[in-house]
Amino acid sequence: MFGSLDISASGLEAQRIRLNTVAANIANSHSVTQDGVTNSPFRRRIALLSEGNGQGGAGVHVKEIALDQSPFRETYAPNHPLADQETGILLRPNIESINEQVNAMEASRAYEANITAAEATKRMMANALTLLS
Amino acid sequence: MLFNELQNNGAMPALERMVQFTEARQQVLAHNVANLSTPDFQPRDLDVAEFQQTLGNAMDRRRNDDTTGQRPLDIDNTDHIEFRPGRLVVKPAPTHENVVFHDGNNRNLERIMQDVAENVMAHQFGVTLLKNQFDNLRTAIRERL
Amino acid sequence: MNDPLGLINSQRPQGITPLRPPSMPGSANPAVAPTGPEFKDLLMQNLKQVDALQQEAQTAIEDVVAGKRDDFAAVMNAKQKSDIAFQMLLQVRNKMMDAYEEVKQIRV
Repeated sequence: MFGSLDISASGLEAQRIRLNTVAANIANSHSVTQDGVTNSPFRRRIALLSEGNGQGGAGVHVKEIALDQSPFRETYAPNHPLADQETGILLRPNIESINEQVNAMEASRAYEANITAAEATKRMMANALTLLS
Repeated sequence: MLFNELQNNGAMPALERMVQFTEARQQVLAHNVANLSTPDFQPRDLDVAEFQQTLGNAMDRRRNDDTTGQRPLDIDNTDHIEFRPGRLVVKPAPTHENVVFHDGNNRNLERIMQDVAENVMAHQFGVTLLKNQFDNLRTAIRERL
Repeated sequence: MNDPLGLINSQRPQGITPLRPPSMPGSANPAVAPTGPEFKDLLMQNLKQVDALQQEAQTAIEDVVAGKRDDFAAVMNAKQKSDIAFQMLLQVRNKMMDAYEEVKQIRV
């Protein structure tokens, strides 16, 4: 009986983690350094979802939060203190805010769908309880 | 003997199986909704028509063999549904209902949510009628309204 | 359905014949048997009707569950009719039992 609710809860958790990842990406979309000295931009994070709840049951879980391996954006900024001395190129994070916003919208839509499914399960359970009265 | 006939009378066994089926299908649909964004996921579903077909056949058989309608229903198992006493064991089949998106998932969100809504209504219908049957039996036993 | 002991029908020889008022030697007309349908026939007719309504309701529900029909309102209607008919019959039966108990109390 609680199987359906567990499945919907796993969906809710996975979408929330995804949304958190998107929020972290947006917040760091201009971070060009991690130690203040070298040009080490923030790498985009991706939440990898996978079927099953990680323990053999149904649902979904976040397998890992991976780093996006696409190359960093190269911008020409010779006057920037952290830019490369010879070429004047500054590496910026490989994050595009349009992508992140669309991902955020999709994650909240999926979150709402899981809420609806959980409500439906709760209604069914409440109905079944009326059999006794 | 007396209680078996009480419990198997008329449409009660069919309604019980219908309620069990909707509960099993709810699990499958919740799994589809949870995996809306999972790449390479293939949504699965239980075929309602197949369930109704095998249940209808069992009821027709009982109607022809036994006019009082008080023997238990003898339902054939299908490829995806196994009818055990008191519960169902289901193996949902993949649905091929939509184009495959860029992430390898071919979910159809509108179809899935509609299936959830329909499933809840069917469950409610079955539970209401079952309750009504039990109430009638109780009235007859008590001899008072 | 018929009464196996033959207690209700007054025509059968092995049943209990109800008391008839003795016809006085001087009276012109002997006691006239009542005309019209017997109460037993009315009762049996109603029982059959209630049974038919219940069968119809059960068949309607089975058809909806099997997907052969999809007009839920008509099925609910049929179930309501059969329930009301059953409750009516139950009340009639209770009143009859009460009447019988009352008659049993009469001291001769």
